[in-house]
Amino acid sequence: MAEKLKHRSMMRGGWTALAAGAMVLVGTAAWAADETPKHGGIAVIGTDGSGLTTLNSHATSATPVLMVSDLWADGLFARDGKGKKVPHIATSWDISPDQKTYTFHLRAGLKWSDGKPFSSADVVFTLKDVAKFNTYQTQMLPNMESVEAPDANTVVVTLKAPLAAALEGFDKEVLPLMPKHIYEGTDVLQNPANRNPVGLGPYKLQAFEQGRSLTFVRNPNYWDQPKPYLDGLVVAIITDTQQQINALLQGEIDFVKLPYTQVARVQEAAKATGKVFARQVEVSAPERASLDFNMRKPPFDNQKVRQAVFHAMDRTRIISDAYHGFAFLATNAIPAQFTELSDPSVDYGKLYPHDVAKAGKLLDEAGFPLVNGKRFTVDLTYSASVFNRSTFEPIAQILAAQWKEVGIETTLSGLDDQLWIDKVYKQNNFDVSLVSLTGRTDPTLGVDRSFLCNPNKLPYVNPSGYCNPELDAIAAKANGAAAADRKQFYKTYEEIVARDLNEISMTNVPTFHGFSTRFEALHTQFDVSFNEYPNWAEVWLKNGK
Amino acid sequence: MARFIIARLGHAIPLLIGVIVVIFCVLQMVPGDPVQAIIGQFPVPPAYRASIEERFHLNDPLYIRLFQYFVNLAQGDLGYSFRAQRPVLDLIVERAPRTLLLAASGYAVGIVVGIMIGVQSAVTNHRSVDRFWNALVLVGYAMPTFWIGQLLVIVFAMNLGWLPTQGMAPLIDRSTGFAWVLDRMRYLALPMTTYAIYEATRVARLIRTSVIGTLGQGYIVTARQKGLSRREIIQGHVIRNSILPVVTAMGYSFGTAMGGAVLIESVFSWPGVGSLLIESIRLRDNQTIVGVVLFVAVCVILMNLIVDILYSWLDPRIRLAR
Repeated sequence: MAEKLKHRSMMRGGWTALAAGAMVLVGTAAWAADETPKHGGIAVIGTDGSGLTTLNSHATSATPVLMVSDLWADGLFARDGKGKKVPHIATSWDISPDQKTYTFHLRAGLKWSDGKPFSSADVVFTLKDVAKFNTYQTQMLPNMESVEAPDANTVVVTLKAPLAAALEGFDKEVLPLMPKHIYEGTDVLQNPANRNPVGLGPYKLQAFEQGRSLTFVRNPNYWDQPKPYLDGLVVAIITDTQQQINALLQGEIDFVKLPYTQVARVQEAAKATGKVFARQVEVSAPERASLDFNMRKPPFDNQKVRQAVFHAMDRTRIISDAYHGFAFLATNAIPAQFTELSDPSVDYGKLYPHDVAKAGKLLDEAGFPLVNGKRFTVDLTYSASVFNRSTFEPIAQILAAQWKEVGIETTLSGLDDQLWIDKVYKQNNFDVSLVSLTGRTDPTLGVDRSFLCNPNKLPYVNPSGYCNPELDAIAAKANGAAAADRKQFYKTYEEIVARDLNEISMTNVPTFHGFSTRFEALHTQFDVSFNEYPNWAEVWLKNGK
Repeated sequence: MARFIIARLGHAIPLLIGVIVVIFCVLQMVPGDPVQAIIGQFPVPPAYRASIEERFHLNDPLYIRLFQYFVNLAQGDLGYSFRAQRPVLDLIVERAPRTLLLAASGYAVGIVVGIMIGVQSAVTNHRSVDRFWNALVLVGYAMPTFWIGQLLVIVFAMNLGWLPTQGMAPLIDRSTGFAWVLDRMRYLALPMTTYAIYEATRVARLIRTSVIGTLGQGYIVTARQKGLSRREIIQGHVIRNSILPVVTAMGYSFGTAMGGAVLIESVFSWPGVGSLLIESIRLRDNQTIVGVVLFVAVCVILMNLIVDILYSWLDPRIRLAR
């Protein structure tokens, strides 16, 4: 007999609630006493604008596009600050006991921002015809047996085989719902609506000025009336992170995602002026700062060399000097944020403590003796793009200094994103590559790509040449197992990676947001987790302006 | 005059063809994946990649893309930006007036200030005033423009709070009439000043040298002996006869500046042609890169032509010839 599991979302998956509270406010917390939302006003959010070739976030994973799609689009559910799934367009969902059938019950009587009615046919259309371009659906879609709409307010998705992270593929960030009446019968990628979208979100686009700003106004058909509270939102395109922070501190913008090097600056300004906050997303998708080794050639084809450079690293310096204390040590390949999946008994801190003597011994054993104070030279490459540069350059310099202590000379090459992708992922012409990738909401979505085989040389996927069928099989088991059984597979996963070290996970880093104190009732507006941005439908300003 | 202009423009055509061929070849050699630049940080589904490559002819051989570009160019089509999903010409037409506003105002202020400093420095040659201006000009000239821009932001925007830190106009714009103009002048002030400082130092150096040379000419001595006042001599004889080198240098650099003062536009998030070029390079939006380079080349050619015409006006001894 089928067992219906209402809102299983809150308990499923490794992303589930971390013990800590939903929100940590850093700096001067000036909570509003008046909790009654007021209508009116316009807020400004800042972004670097990269990738804003389209506003259809099925067609890109570029961060600014995801941020903007939070304004005009909505999905079946979102998450609160503790990582708990919160119904949005779906009021509830059931999962069959065999974990293969997902039934979503939709709100009735909803309208798109252009006033046309919404129904389950739109969800089916999104999954069948639009999501095939979606980079986050590469696991779930090939495993989808069917998607049907038995009535106007119900959608049933049937999988070929259980997939533990399947439900992760339905949240609003990775599966924004798209209007069938706009896209049906057209080339989805060329549809003009990609630049002038019609959605279910709280705002609708009014103007898109390339390279400068996007202006949104209240969507009168929004499903959760009387929200949104603002009259509108402007997205300011400011390419440089320093300028973004300047603009935030001067009150020219109200919200921006903070680079780690700027968190302290915003904290200081918060204390001095009380006009801004720096906020850490407590349950955040971990950013994994990692080193990928090219295992196709010496010296990193030798396991002892990879182990030696790990011993030669003092990761605490990276946290203090490059991340200004805002990161923490990675325990193993599975970030600690996945509390129900990561097994801390596999501990890099114990397996590979900072030990220069041991590093030297391993290098001797690997056949790289110290001659005139030097063993060999390696090339450490990284993306020197605007957002990464301020963090990656100090990390690279710290590593070079530490490796020099064991006789490894390091040549640093910070490259333009495109050159770095070509060098590392296409040409495989590197020794060590420094990268920081999001772990998203489940290891299946954000971690596997670093360790599983990558025969097609896909960018941002394991560039090391490492391909271990044993690890791939374990990952497949972890992905298909029931929630309670996944941890055991991930422990084996962690052990294999800790042994083979095709990639070293150095640190895990939470997400920080900077925002203006013009916003009121921050605990509702910023009750979000993982990669999500503030609940813009909840945002309201003091006195409505 | 008309024949001269037509001939000069005719000579420019092979040059522009050469520019296009060179930039196409350079872009062919530079690594990069426009598809990944669109997609972001995650693997691209193969069908999606194939669709984009087909749509924008990314896999066509170089000679086919080049031939097609020339065919389109002959019809006034500068190509299509996959990044902006708009014709490249539209983008340039949208951005060029912004860069023109910044460059023209910066040049205007810079040239006037530069001439004043340069002339005063020259007429007080080797005296304390000259030394003061020389030192100041040298410092201004040696400072990178992006650094000057950042200093101005720190002082006038961050510390004093008088002016905005970046942008071209208020993001939430409710002003009208004269208030609308004032708003925009506030946004223009810092980038324009940055531009003006750089240009003023260049002009001051050029004009000082030129004026010192002119002051030694016989006709200046004659003018003095005729009893003309110092002001009359400088305004009537010295400046006009000293300005040719400045016209040459400024004319050439103004044409280049229409490609956007990349650093200044970056520092102030000024959405002009320079920012367009940077964004396009970052995302390997090759047709836009070619379009912007072509636009700059045309500007340089036109400015050189204007400089030649100005020459004949400033110095009647110079005659335009084919």
